[in-house]
Formats: sequence, C-alpha cells, structure tokens
Amino acid sequence: MRYLIKSIGAFAVLAMMAGGISQVAAHHSASMFDFTKSQTLKGKVVEMRWVNPHVTITITGSTNPDEAPGDWLIETTSPGNLVRAGGWRRDALKPGDEIEVTFHPEREAGKKSGLLQEVKLVSTGEVFTANIRDQEKPGLE
Amino acid sequence: MRVKSGPIGIASVAALALMLAPLIASAQAPQKAPTVINPPPTAQDWADIAKLPDWSGVWNPKISDQDAQIKTNPPPWNEAAAKKIAKMFVEEKAGRPFLVFSNCLPEALPSWMLVTHNAMEILFTPGRVTMLGDGNRIRRIYTDGRGHPETSDPTFHGHSIGHWEGDTLVIDTTDIVPEAPLAVSEAAGLPNNGDMHVIERIHLADKDILHDDLEIIAPNILTKPWKTTRIFFRQRARKFDIVEGVCATGDLVERVNADGDHVFVPVQKSEWGHTTAVPAK
Repeated sequence: MRYLIKSIGAFAVLAMMAGGISQVAAHHSASMFDFTKSQTLKGKVVEMRWVNPHVTITITGSTNPDEAPGDWLIETTSPGNLVRAGGWRRDALKPGDEIEVTFHPEREAGKKSGLLQEVKLVSTGEVFTANIRDQEKPGLE
Repeated sequence: MRVKSGPIGIASVAALALMLAPLIASAQAPQKAPTVINPPPTAQDWADIAKLPDWSGVWNPKISDQDAQIKTNPPPWNEAAAKKIAKMFVEEKAGRPFLVFSNCLPEALPSWMLVTHNAMEILFTPGRVTMLGDGNRIRRIYTDGRGHPETSDPTFHGHSIGHWEGDTLVIDTTDIVPEAPLAVSEAAGLPNNGDMHVIERIHLADKDILHDDLEIIAPNILTKPWKTTRIFFRQRARKFDIVEGVCATGDLVERVNADGDHVFVPVQKSEWGHTTAVPAK
C-alpha cells in the first residue's frame, strides 16, 4: 500500500480505480444486509473510521472458534447517530481492543462484512448499540 | 413598411437601418438594475428576534414516523413515477437498494426535511432564518420581505422566503434543481423534473416538539400537491451538540504517505453504497 500512495500520481490512480469499479456513495439503505440473520464475531479492532455518513470498523477475528481469524468489515450509522443512539465516542473502540460484535451478515454468502447491531468491549463489558431509532427513547439526555 | 424589390430599394432600407441602429440598440439595452443593499440590523431588529418562539437546541428527526408515513401517507405519484417507485421498493427488498443520494450530493429540498436521519439546528438573525444540519447541510430562508428572484437560479435547496404568522414560520421555496429527488427513503425517490414548489409551516407542536407541515407541488411526478408533516424532537444536552460531518469522507480513509503527509485515500464501495474494502495502513 505504502508504495502505491508514494506520490500524488498514485493517489490519482487510486481515485480513478475507485471511480471505475465502484460508485462513490452517500447515505444508503442497508438492505444489502440480511436482517433475518444475526452473527457474532470475536476479535481485535484494527481500525474504526469515524466518518459520515457511515462509520466502519475493521476487525481481525472469526465467527467461530474453528475458523482462522480474518479481516472483517462492519458498517454502521453516522458518528452523530452513534453518539445519540448508542453512547459512542470517537475513541470508543481503539486499535487492539478485544471486542465481541453482533451483526447482520451480508446477504451474499462468503462476504466477511456486516451491519453492526452492537459491540461489547471485552475488557470493560461496555456495550455500544447502533439502532438509530433508539434516539427517540426518552431520558437519553 | 413596404420594401421595393429592386437593388436601389434594398440599398435604401439598408442605409436607413444603419442610421437607426444606434437608436434601436440604445432603446433595447437592458437598464442596469439598482443595487439593493441589505441594511445593517438595528438594535430594534435584534430586539424583535427575542420575541420569536424559542427554537434553540438540537432538533432530531422522528425517524419512526418517517418510516410509518411511507405506508400511511405516500406521495400521490403519477402513473409513470408510481411504477418506478414500486420497482425501487422491489429492488430494495431484494438487497439491491437504489442510491437516491449518490455522490454525496445534498438530499436537497424537500427530501432533507422528509427523510433525514440526522439532527439540525435553526438560527434566527434579523431578516434570516438559517437551518444547519448535521452533515454540513444548510438552508437560507429570507424573512426580510423580499420576493423570489425574477431570473431563476436553481439550487439544491432552492430560493426560500419566509414570514411569521404568529409563532409559525411560513416558508415558500422555488427554484430547486430538477435533479433534486423527492424521496420517501434512502432507496426510493425520483428527480422532481422541474417546477417544484414547496410550502412549509413550521411551528412548535409542544414544548420540545417541532412540526414541519409541508405541501409539495411537483407537477411532473405527482398528480396533486402532497401534504405531509415531519416531526423533530429537541435535545439540549451538550454531548449531543452537532459536530462537523463531511459526507465525502465516507468514501475515504486517513493515511500517512511515504513523505509523512496526512492524506485521504479512497476506500472501495459497492454499487449500492456500502464500504467493501479499506486499504491497509
């Protein structure tokens, strides 16, 4: 990766690749995830992208003990909604934190990605949820 | 004027036209419009602001009500639009959601009010109401008595003029770009295709509940004006203050390049908009 982003030219190539192979997106529906299924992933945080409109968390882990750990990509709502609905902070998850994630998997089989339902920090037991409709509950202030 | 058909006649007319040309040109030259100055607010203008209802704090959309209205109060789509919307619902159900808000363009008016999942705040200053939404959305509503511009200059949020009827802010918006979607969700919405007109009546329905009663006139996709209400609830906790949110960063990740510079690098997205791969550090 490092050699690829060595120059501004390489950055342009990356931007072109991104534009060519995928849509540059925005707020989107989550219907590519299967809301009838729920899975649990145990592993370590690699990185949380605290960005609008959808935060993503890269995790090295597995969904069952027999599976070799792999890189998973878990998507969720915006920082503003996570703060309001689930008590999140920008530093709620730090690289290296051991976590347990409950998520809706992608409909397409074999993809190591999903939509976050909740995440638990193993060290403290603190749980962060991600249902944007939870912010309508009274008494959050 | 009758013109002789011979060469002399034509020459005479040409000469006459040359003589008259400067006069005609000066008669047709557009008059330079006088410059309209926005006057500096007076102490009384600021004092009048204090008489307006208290809309301070952060206003959050009631998303559960947005959800419900998809079924209970759908827009009166015309036949062609209804077919397209029905197809979008089928595609979304099948896991292939249409991207109504692609390329991080603004949700625009009226869809920002209709389907947003993000908070906003509303500021009063003399002659202006300004709405600021999480995600760097902005609406400017002129309450200084001006009308709509004579020459259309379409924008995502249109040209909004407002006035107060008691404690209700009445807003009239025109000049919205035809590409701006009329959306019922992030996966179902259509370009308004021009001539859209939005009338809103915004008022407190309770101490901490704000209602936006909308009337949406979109003659190219609706059979009649659509009336709907959107509900926002107030939060005052400082932990819920709106912070900067830039939609385009969703397509990027922060990295440090070989020169030690902090740069944004694209992530990979699916055609439906979700992130499918993030470049390793």
